[in-house]
Amino acid sequence: MADETLLEILKRRGISRRGFLKFCAATTSLLALPPSMAVAVADSLGRLKRPAVIWLSFQECTGCTESLTRAHSPSIESLIFDAISLDYHHTLQAASGHAAEEAREHSMKADWGKYLLIVDGSIPLKDGGAYSTIAGISNLQMLQEAAAGAAAIVAIGTCAAFGGLPHAQPNPTGAVAVSDIIKDKPIINVPGCPPVPAVMVGVLAHYLTFGSLPDLDDLGRPRAFYGESIHDRCYRRPFYDQGKFAKTFDDAGARDGWCLFELGCKGPTTHNACATTKWNGGTSWPVQSGHGCIGCSEPDFWDAGGFYKALSTPVDSVTGAAAAAVAVGAAAGVAIGIANRQRKAQARAEHQTVTIEDLEK
Amino acid sequence: MSSLKDIGVHVVHVGGNGNARAVLREVENLLQKLVEKGEESSIDLSGLPLSAEDYDLLEETLGEGEVVAEVHSLGPTRIHETGVPGVWWVTHYNDEDEVLAEFIEVAWCPEILLAPEDDVKDGLEALRARLFELKQESNHG
Repeated sequence: MADETLLEILKRRGISRRGFLKFCAATTSLLALPPSMAVAVADSLGRLKRPAVIWLSFQECTGCTESLTRAHSPSIESLIFDAISLDYHHTLQAASGHAAEEAREHSMKADWGKYLLIVDGSIPLKDGGAYSTIAGISNLQMLQEAAAGAAAIVAIGTCAAFGGLPHAQPNPTGAVAVSDIIKDKPIINVPGCPPVPAVMVGVLAHYLTFGSLPDLDDLGRPRAFYGESIHDRCYRRPFYDQGKFAKTFDDAGARDGWCLFELGCKGPTTHNACATTKWNGGTSWPVQSGHGCIGCSEPDFWDAGGFYKALSTPVDSVTGAAAAAVAVGAAAGVAIGIANRQRKAQARAEHQTVTIEDLEK
Repeated sequence: MSSLKDIGVHVVHVGGNGNARAVLREVENLLQKLVEKGEESSIDLSGLPLSAEDYDLLEETLGEGEVVAEVHSLGPTRIHETGVPGVWWVTHYNDEDEVLAEFIEVAWCPEILLAPEDDVKDGLEALRARLFELKQESNHG
């Protein structure tokens, strides 16, 4: 059974070549490839043998898994459960405890050097990694062991890709991204809080289809989905070009669907596929529902100034210093601590509170 | 207030963003290719941000043609020829009737409607097996 190709599996389940053609058309669309590539996709998916996938969840909220399991295009069941062999995912698998960890170790041994490793969540380095462990093994140790035998790593979600919320100031657990630890394996970053389900499936489909990593940008993100900014693909973009901006969330401009730039939209600096792929099966996306983009697929989005401050507003200078300090490594944690203590003291002294006026700035 | 529909919502139509016209021009180009070189091609509608108004403009301009077809495999796929012969609107749905992918195909016939060669061969074998069974049955009868 392990040697069955995807086409054989589908055929055994009574799915015709037409159904397979449809599956490939949907996959091609998902990968943002030209429709003429469908034949190539069909050819390579048809011959595909199920690769083993190990999914590790570290400091995360399970939002990424929630998002992925609601992907509908192509149906996640057919892709995940037929096209790959998901050997370990502690939220989705039936086994638990020792049996689960055994499954992981068995899969790692059986497919050493060949399996695809998916990670969601950041990895805490402070205090010997004591802040997050699985079966008594620190996240750091589990990642290093699993990464050693992986063909490639997919860092799912902003936490795994860039440190995410756990990494936000003052970063009490010393959280870092996968790429801060693993330096000798190809890593695909699929950020977003959570990532668009179709994008996660798309990255897996690309790997399955071509057996190689997709074309990546300077932050390790697949260009097919993160190549353009939200702003570039936003349906409200024409209003930006005409200088038509909503000034508050309930003014006439907001009702007429004008650009949300002045209300803090981070679309111009955010690279993601929300504007075209949308959410919940293409129903809507944040900007369509009247709220600016918060930039969740970019590094340090949580510390990048207020969500409701226009991009042209200067960002707090401490953010830059802290981000640089983290990049230097765990030893710099002290420096961040000092910087943040100073900031806290300053905040107390100035008694900063957020008012309605702040939100409307 | 008895239902959600009774809540007064003021719907404002802000007009399309112009992308429907771009798609229509592309259709024109592809159709010319089909006529001159016999080359078939398609446009993935999920690649461009189309507002509801753009969508309407696209549908209205292309119109409805003579052929409507439905394929049942991995959920329904609904196909209709637009008012412009050779331009087909192909929508793939999953079993929950959610749209998986949507294309405008410019072709003599959309590929998914053609019987795939492998399936035809399997079908021929299945028919011969059935005929053989029928023959056995009539011999015994």
